[in-house]
Amino acid sequence: MTDYTHLAGHRFPGGRYTLPAYESWLWTDAVAGTPDPLAAHPEIAYMIGLHGGGASIADIMALLGADEDSGVMFGELQFAFDGVLRPGAAYDVAGEVVSVERKEGRRAGVFDRATFVHRIAEAGACAPVATVTHVWIFPRKDEA
Amino acid sequence: MSMLSEGQALEPFVVESVDPGRMKTMAVLLRDPNPIHWDIAVLGRLGLGDRPINQGPINVGYLMELAGRAAGGAANVQRFDCRFLGNVLAGDRVTCSGTVTALDAEAGTAELELSAEVDGRAVLSATATITTMNTTKGASTT
Repeated sequence: MTDYTHLAGHRFPGGRYTLPAYESWLWTDAVAGTPDPLAAHPEIAYMIGLHGGGASIADIMALLGADEDSGVMFGELQFAFDGVLRPGAAYDVAGEVVSVERKEGRRAGVFDRATFVHRIAEAGACAPVATVTHVWIFPRKDEA
Repeated sequence: MSMLSEGQALEPFVVESVDPGRMKTMAVLLRDPNPIHWDIAVLGRLGLGDRPINQGPINVGYLMELAGRAAGGAANVQRFDCRFLGNVLAGDRVTCSGTVTALDAEAGTAELELSAEVDGRAVLSATATITTMNTTKGASTT
């Protein structure tokens, strides 16, 4: 049985991401919002976290021994905002694996519940403007 | 923004038909390699039908839009916690509903309980804290 619980505390590379105005527009349009040239849709913090954190969706799946055929699903998504995200602004991102828990459900079978966090600060600042915590479910069909 | 009151039901936000084109946009934005969001041939091979599956963040965006409307703008959402309960497919009609569960006039915030449904099936639930200086404790509901 492959155990991923040791990944708790694993830090992503981190880095800086400048949010292009066109990405802000496209994100807001994709989620049925009204694009605003002065304020990005707050949920785009999730994308800034991934891109600025230096670990893509594919990287995170690979870290936990999964790929696009593994049936990885979202479990939960949490945001805390301490400011407004702005198109064209640069953000420093730090991210890590918070925990990995092996679980078993009647319908879902064996799965790993992995929690990640990305803290996003305006470039050069310390205090986060947004914190994104996300839980992914990794089915482990071969571990049943 | 209308005045909020405890117990008030928010005006529902409805996405009449989930657009598969926007899933492709989101896949590029997120660099999401999962083909279930755009490749019908893969969906067929996996036995998942012929309708692309909406990305979770798009579904969350619908509910955040509802919270933002109550707050007078999405930028006034302070906290947003959601759980994924089911898939949303291309062409689905998504109804987002919400209720004001508490007000804090001193802090100028309101607590919301939110949910999204497709054909009566819950697909997402959430709670949110929004900033609003425009609240009335114990006012009548609409």
